[in-house]
Amino acid sequence: MRLATYLLPRVLAALVTLLGVSVLVFLSLRLLPGGYADILLGPFVTPEARAVIAQRYGLDQPLVVQYLRWVWAMLGGDFGVSMVTQRPVIDELLRRAPVTLQLALIALVLALAVGYPLGVLSGVRAASRRKRRDFGRVIGAMGASVPDFVLGSVLIFVFSVWSLWFRVGGYVPLGVDPVGNLRTMLLPGLTLSVFGVALILRTTRDAVLRVMTEPHITAAVARGASPGAIIRRHILRNAAIPVVTVVATYFGFLLGGAVIVEVLFSVPGVGLYIFNGLLNRDYAIVQAGVLLAAMVFITINMLADVLYALIDPRVGVSR
Amino acid sequence: MPAVNSPSLSVLALLAGLGLALPAQAENVITWGKPAEITGFDVHVAGTVASWEMYQMVYETLLTNDDDLSLQPGLAESWEEESPTRFVFTLREGAAFSNGRAVDAQDVIGSIERIRNPEVASYWAHQLGEIESMEALDDRRVAIELAQPHATFLPALAHITAAIIPVQEYQAGEFDPTSEMLGSGPFMVEAHDQDERWTLVRNPHYGRAGYPRADRMNVAIIPDESARMAALRDGRIDFTTFENPDAPQMLGATANVEHHPIQTTNYYRLDVNALSEDSPFHDRRVRQAMNLALDREAINMLVFNGTSAVDYPVPAAFGKDACRDLDTYALSREERLERARALLEEAEQPAPQVELMASSANQVLVRIAEVAQQSLAEAGFDVQIAAVPTAEYLQRVFTDGDFDFSASWLAGYTDPSMVIQWWNPKFAVWNLAFQEEVPELSDALAAIRATPDSPERDEALSEICAMIDQGANLLALVSKIDYVVYRSDQVEVTLADRTGSANTWQYIAEFAPVE
Amino acid sequence: MSGLARIARRGRPRPNGLTIFGVVTLGCLLFLGVFGPWLPLGDPSRIAAGPRLDAPSAQFLFGTDELGRNFLPRVVQGIRSTFLLSAVAVAITAVIGTLLGMAAGYLGRHTDQIVARGADILFAFPALVAGLLVAAIMGPGQASAITVISIATLPLFIRVVRSVTLGVAGRGFVTAAEVAGASTLRVMLVHLLPNVMGAVIVQLTYALSIGMIIESGLSFLGLGVQPPNASLGSLLRQGSAYLTIAPWMVLSSGVVLSLAIMSVNLVGDAVRDALEPLKGRPLT
Repeated sequence: MRLATYLLPRVLAALVTLLGVSVLVFLSLRLLPGGYADILLGPFVTPEARAVIAQRYGLDQPLVVQYLRWVWAMLGGDFGVSMVTQRPVIDELLRRAPVTLQLALIALVLALAVGYPLGVLSGVRAASRRKRRDFGRVIGAMGASVPDFVLGSVLIFVFSVWSLWFRVGGYVPLGVDPVGNLRTMLLPGLTLSVFGVALILRTTRDAVLRVMTEPHITAAVARGASPGAIIRRHILRNAAIPVVTVVATYFGFLLGGAVIVEVLFSVPGVGLYIFNGLLNRDYAIVQAGVLLAAMVFITINMLADVLYALIDPRVGVSR
Repeated sequence: MPAVNSPSLSVLALLAGLGLALPAQAENVITWGKPAEITGFDVHVAGTVASWEMYQMVYETLLTNDDDLSLQPGLAESWEEESPTRFVFTLREGAAFSNGRAVDAQDVIGSIERIRNPEVASYWAHQLGEIESMEALDDRRVAIELAQPHATFLPALAHITAAIIPVQEYQAGEFDPTSEMLGSGPFMVEAHDQDERWTLVRNPHYGRAGYPRADRMNVAIIPDESARMAALRDGRIDFTTFENPDAPQMLGATANVEHHPIQTTNYYRLDVNALSEDSPFHDRRVRQAMNLALDREAINMLVFNGTSAVDYPVPAAFGKDACRDLDTYALSREERLERARALLEEAEQPAPQVELMASSANQVLVRIAEVAQQSLAEAGFDVQIAAVPTAEYLQRVFTDGDFDFSASWLAGYTDPSMVIQWWNPKFAVWNLAFQEEVPELSDALAAIRATPDSPERDEALSEICAMIDQGANLLALVSKIDYVVYRSDQVEVTLADRTGSANTWQYIAEFAPVE
Repeated sequence: MSGLARIARRGRPRPNGLTIFGVVTLGCLLFLGVFGPWLPLGDPSRIAAGPRLDAPSAQFLFGTDELGRNFLPRVVQGIRSTFLLSAVAVAITAVIGTLLGMAAGYLGRHTDQIVARGADILFAFPALVAGLLVAAIMGPGQASAITVISIATLPLFIRVVRSVTLGVAGRGFVTAAEVAGASTLRVMLVHLLPNVMGAVIVQLTYALSIGMIIESGLSFLGLGVQPPNASLGSLLRQGSAYLTIAPWMVLSSGVVLSLAIMSVNLVGDAVRDALEPLKGRPLT
């Protein structure tokens, strides 16, 4: 029953965190200057019209009542209705979630495909040749330093002037036109992946370096085992553990935090939906979106914790 | 969502389902790159151009405007002004909603009643004036009786916010105007993915035979200008608009991209807060000094690369020469600056600290603010710019009156005596929070409403303009031009040279793909 | 993303080419940022200093923008705003975060629970949405940029300081002080603080680079410093509208911003190695 005793406090803590996030997002939205009435009516808003709209969406109730109603409705699966379209927010979020998921997966796969092998290579080189000034550090430093909106802007410039094969904007669902979909999704995915490459490269490199200096590797080298065999048998497996944790955290971040890239490339995902909801003061969208993102983030981090504890029991309980 | 219920389309669908070959040119498709998503579905409520542009595809109004901005038939094929307070409209034979039901007199009455219903919160009730009674003379004729003469009644009916909705379906609960669209316009909505795309298909019951020429219009929502340009370049969209005057230059080298600047009666403006005692602009002399110190020509040259023009309270697009010889426009810059400094001296505020607000969503407005800031500094003003989110800007200016001055643009509508009515805040209502009511000006404005276009009216316009300039409460800056850009190898377009009321796509029914 | 950013920059450098590059770049940028207003570069806000959208030339090294402003002094002003705002924000956050982290780690139980949950909530809230909300509530400008950076980097300090404090709190000299009757505050400030300072300084550099990313991101979305003042992010926003005919705006501000963040990261790596030599660090 070790897993249960390990999990229970974490689940409770996660629930408290979610509750805090819900209060925070609810209150901060109400503190925003300007409301949906302004967006809908523009300069023509009058106090009477404001009152009508407030009443229509229950915004004239005391804050506590509004909050409890929202939470109560959510427990029943009702996440509210968009004021712009009158459609249930959860339907729209579920329609957009796959888009954000796809974007996150593209970024993750690219980051792993480039970052992990380079990290292993860089780590092995660094440990064996005592060379510190290697490409791993250079790539790691660069990747972690170029903000996504800088890289995104430059990519948009390059690919909208010479349209080549990629497209900027004009999202097509994967199921409708897989090639067209990739043409629009690869650039934003690439933009998001650069940070991940640096992240995974440096984590892998560190882990490999650490494993390489452990006695059993030194012993294996002394035994005259081939470098390939050492890497396969000892290094890759041991170095994978920290990488798993980092990958999970990165994935959680991608699912909840790709707002700028989605806005920049007009990718109709969850981030863009929340962003527009915020501009329109469409409260239900932002509330549900932020809560969902927080939920995903917490869950993935918790899974990573569990995974980490399972793989390496030493770390488990103390942390 | 209105379903595709045209018999001919169903037959086509059936044929397609049976695997029978369709004629190659079965579908005429055009694609519009729309810069912004609607802010609500309710045609009688939303007060934003982004919404109006979509409503104009689906709904119709009783009247519309021609290229000279005079009224012309819309859903009503004719109208009679039986007295200054009584109008009779005759609906066009064959006008029908996209569900096939003919538009009748009850739809007109019900639509106007809905606009007037406070529960609906439509801002247009006020523009229509006080309506005494409405009466259906027969299925196709409606008589509307006003409580008192209201010069802008007819122009207000030509605005999309006065759209005629299917009232029978609305009352039966079959049609919800707050979440769907169903009108008698050229297109109807087939599908909508918010912030992403719309699919419009032709309204098979549209009143004009053979129109719209396109069977289907795809609408891509692309807020980012660079992305919209990329879409034009690779031919994903056929036509769009830009607010940035440099857009044509940026697209310059692309083959088959045509530019069509549309002159509008709209202009960029400054709202100045005359009512707040916290603002230095509470003192009229400070407002006048600011008005004189503004360098409108610099705004034109720097923000619009010289493609716009200095504009006046009576918009230049109407071709009137009112306001031209006012000091604000006629004096040289040096003379104006001198006058401005003298006025500030007189007001004992040689260096007023003021905040210039603009919506950060519109880069053009922010640039205008930056140029204004520099030109005002020369007269001694210390201007801080506040580029804030749209919702905040709207609330602070139009509800709270908590600002010094702000940059935006003004819809000049379609008649010079209509647009200057904005200077009577009791009539305009939207500027009550910051516009000072000047009784003589209000009287003059009331008088001109009943005056037909004539040399006398032009003279009255000049007098009014001088009063407006004196108040320096709502300032015209430069004309707002709609830069329409389209792919001439992909789409045939019909565009007006001038529009009022943001009706850029007035002739959308005539758009068709190039064969 | 703060925790991630920290890990992303992990490495085991010694003073080498890259570190030297980082120090030199950071030095140059700091020099420009601090002394920029007194350098003979031109007025960053002067409209119509040259033609509109003029390509880089001897007169205008970075070209001009859409209002004819000299872009070079604007970039220098951008460096100043971006660095300055982030530095102020991170300094404030470091003080608050250190106090909270020490309190959580030393006082334990309830304080710890409250602080840890608070940090979790801030961490789980999508960072950019939180930034947009705060900036919109406070109104765009320097104060809101500082607040947003603080909120985003606070959990970083709390977590690190708390874990270091936990390790130190049970040691002999702390217990001795307690037995001798030292007040809680005294124990924290005199005995614990010196021990967590190293970790705090290391976090400072990471937080600074995160702060710069956040500040420029907010400005990129139009919620940062107010025009005509420039930050590197607002210059990018300005330039992105003119990417096709005036790419020098995005390229110059983008390159400078990336260099600035990179130099802070590289210096951060060097500082960490100097302060925490050979120390095995937990990975998360």
